[in-house]
Amino acid sequence: MTASPFEIEIPRGRVIEVQRDDTRVRRGTGLLRGMAVIWKHWKESFKLNRSYSQIHGTFTIEYPEERPRIPEAYRNMPILLYDDETGHELCTSCFQCERICPPQVIHMTQAKDPATGKPVPAVAEFIIEYDACMSCGFCAEVCPFDAIKMDHEFELSTDDHLRLTVHKEQLLRPISYYAHIAPTMWAEVREGALKKLQGNIRRRPDVIGLAPQLTEKIAARRAELAAQAAQAAQAAAATPAPPAAPAAAAPAPAEGRKLTPEEKAAKLAAIRAANAAKKQQSGDGS
Amino acid sequence: MYDMLAALINGTLGWGWPEWALNLLSYILVVTIVLVVAPLQMLFFTYYERRVIARMQDRVGPNRVGPEGIWQPIADGVKMFTKEDIVPQAADRIVHFLAPCVVVAPTVLMFAVVPWGPGMVPVDLPTGLLFFFAISSISAVGLMMAGWASNNKFSLLGAMRAVAQMVSYEIPAVLSLIAIVIVVGSLSINDIIAYQTGLIVSNRDLPGIPDLGLGWFVFTPVGFVAFIAFFIAALAEGERTPFDIPEADSEIVAGYMTEYSGMKFGLFYLAQYVLNFLLCAITAIIFFGGWQGPGVGWLYAQGITPENPNGNGLFNVLAGVLGVFYFLLKTYLFFFVMVWLRGALPRLRIDQLMDFGWKFLIPLTLANLFSAALWVAFTRWGPAEGMLITVGWSPVLRWLAAFVVTLAINLGVYLWLTRVYAASQAERRRAELEELIAAGS
Ligand code: SF4
Ligand code: SF4
Repeated sequence: MTASPFEIEIPRGRVIEVQRDDTRVRRGTGLLRGMAVIWKHWKESFKLNRSYSQIHGTFTIEYPEERPRIPEAYRNMPILLYDDETGHELCTSCFQCERICPPQVIHMTQAKDPATGKPVPAVAEFIIEYDACMSCGFCAEVCPFDAIKMDHEFELSTDDHLRLTVHKEQLLRPISYYAHIAPTMWAEVREGALKKLQGNIRRRPDVIGLAPQLTEKIAARRAELAAQAAQAAQAAAATPAPPAAPAAAAPAPAEGRKLTPEEKAAKLAAIRAANAAKKQQSGDGS
Repeated sequence: MYDMLAALINGTLGWGWPEWALNLLSYILVVTIVLVVAPLQMLFFTYYERRVIARMQDRVGPNRVGPEGIWQPIADGVKMFTKEDIVPQAADRIVHFLAPCVVVAPTVLMFAVVPWGPGMVPVDLPTGLLFFFAISSISAVGLMMAGWASNNKFSLLGAMRAVAQMVSYEIPAVLSLIAIVIVVGSLSINDIIAYQTGLIVSNRDLPGIPDLGLGWFVFTPVGFVAFIAFFIAALAEGERTPFDIPEADSEIVAGYMTEYSGMKFGLFYLAQYVLNFLLCAITAIIFFGGWQGPGVGWLYAQGITPENPNGNGLFNVLAGVLGVFYFLLKTYLFFFVMVWLRGALPRLRIDQLMDFGWKFLIPLTLANLFSAALWVAFTRWGPAEGMLITVGWSPVLRWLAAFVVTLAINLGVYLWLTRVYAASQAERRRAELEELIAAGS
C-alpha cells in the first residue's frame, strides 16, 4: 500500500523497477499510462522551468538572448593570471603544466636574467594551442603557483585558425577577473598563491615577469629602477643615467640591463644567498 | 470546380466556352491546387511535428527562422535543394532515380479523392475508398526499388521491413474499413461523410434527430473498434513511431533512404509526410465525419428558400469554409496524436510488430466485421431479409439493440483477445529465455 511496485525511494533519486507481465499494464492501459505522462509534459512545457529539481516545464535557455549562469567550477580554456597590484604574472615557468598536458598544447620559454643568463622564475613566452586543448583542466590542477586557471569564456569561434594559437599577452587576465568568475575557488588558494608570488617577485630582475600589456606598470617600474640606479650611481659618484623613455620598448631593456647588476648586487644578494643555494653555486660555476 | 467555372465564365462573363474547355480548365486548376497544397501540408507538418515533439520533451523546438520558427521548413527545403545529389557507384542508377518518383506519385494521386469540404472533392469516385488504398500500396513498390537499387545492406533491410510491414498492416486497415463500408453500403468517400450526420447517432439509422453533423462512426461500438484498429494500422503504414522499423536509425541507419541525398531524400521525406497527412485525413473522414460538424448543415439549410432550392451563395461559402476548418482541425488533431504516440512509445521489434498485426489486429477487425453485419441487420433489415426478431420494433429500440449487441461482442472479443495475446507473448518470452539458458550452458 505504501510503496507501489513501480517506484522505490532511495536516497539518491528514484529507481523504477519494471515488472514483466504486470497485469495492470495489459489491454492497452500501459499505452494510455505512457501517453498520460507525455501529455503532462506537453501541458507543463508551456511554463518555464529553471529549477532543475522539477521534471516538468521547458528547460531550454535560449542562448544568445539568455545566458546560463555558469557554475564556478566550469572549465573551458586555460588562462594565465597576473596580480592586479604589482602587475606580476603568477607563472614561474616551472613546466609542470607543459609536462602534464595530454595533447601537449602548452609551450613556453623561461625568462633569463639578461645580465647573468641564469633562469628567472618567470615566463618569457607562453603559448597554448586552444584548437587542440581538450579542456581537461589538468594544467590548472597541477600548477603549484595557481598561475594557470580555467576560464569561463566559451565563445571562441573564429574564421582565423591562427587566432587559436594563443600567446601570453592574450592569455593573461588579472586575478580580480578570476576572483570574480570563481570566488570560492580563488578564496581557497588566494593566500598561498600571493605568498608564493611575493617570493618570486623578489627573484625577478628588471621588468621580467610583468604582464606585457601593462605598459604603464612597466614604465613605472622602469622609472623606479632608473631612480634606484641613479641613487646607486650617485652614491658611487658616477654620472646619472638618463630617465627611461616610457613607451620605447626596444632601447629600454638595453638601458635597464646595464643598471640591474649593480642594483641586484646591492639589494638582492642576501635573498639569493638564502634561496636556492645550489642554484647559485651552479650559476657561479658556469 | 466545374460548376463554379461554368457559372463564372459562361454565366457572369458570358464567354460561352464549350464544355470540354471548361472541363479541362477546371481539372488543370484542381490539379494545380492539389500539387501546391500537398507540399505545403508537408512543410507545415514537419514544422508542426518538430514543435510538438519538442514541447513533449520539455524543449522549445525550432523558433529562429521567422516568427516562432514558421519558416523553418522553407529553410530546410532550401538546404535540401542545394545539397549534392550522390548516387553510389554500385547502385542501379535508373531504378535508384525512379524510386523516389514511384514513392511520391501515389501519395499525390491519393489527394484526388480526398474531400476538403462539402462538395470540395477533386474527383468523386464511386469507389473512392478502394482507389485510396489501392494507390497507397503502390508506394511499397517504390520503397523496394529504393532499397534494391541502392545496393546497400541497410537499404535493402529497410526496404524489406517496410514492405513486410505495409503488406501486413494493410489487411487490418482494410478490414476495419470494410466494417464501415458494410454499414454505409457504399465505397464513395462522399457517401461515407454524408452518412455521418445527426447527433451521436446517424440520421440514416434514426430519422428525426437534430442534424448537428455529429453522427460520427467513432461513437458506435463498430466504428470505435474500427477506428482504433485503423489508426494503429495507419501508424504502421505511415511508418510512424512505434512502427518506424523500416528506418530505425539506431539499427539500419535510415532504412531504404540510406543512400539518398539532396532532393531525392527530400522526396522520400515529402512522400512520408504527405502520406501521414492523408492517413490522418482519411481517419478524420471515415470515423470523425470529415467536414461534418455542428453548423455546417445548418448553414446550408439557411440559404435554401423555395425560389432557390440549391441554397444561396454566401451561405454555401460560409458552410464550405466551416467544413474545411473542421476537416483540417480533425486532421491536425490526429497528427498531434501521432506525434504524441511518438513521444510516448519506443520502437517495436519487427517480430512484435508482426505478432501484433497478425495475431491481434486481424482477429479483432474480423470480429468487428461480424458486429458491423449485425448492426446492419438490427437497424435496417426486416422480415424480407429474414430478420424476424426486430419485427414491430421502433427505430430507437432497433438502434439500441444494435448498439448493445455490437458493444457486447466487441468488448468480449477485445478482452478475450488481449488475454490470449498476453498469454502467447508470455509463453514466447519464456521459450526465448529457455533457449538462451540452454545456449548459455
Ligand atoms: S586544459 Fe588540458 S589540454 Fe588544455 S592546456 Fe590544460 S592540460 Fe592541456
Ligand atoms: S602555469 Fe603554473 S604549472 Fe605552468 S609553468 Fe606556470 S607556474 Fe608552472
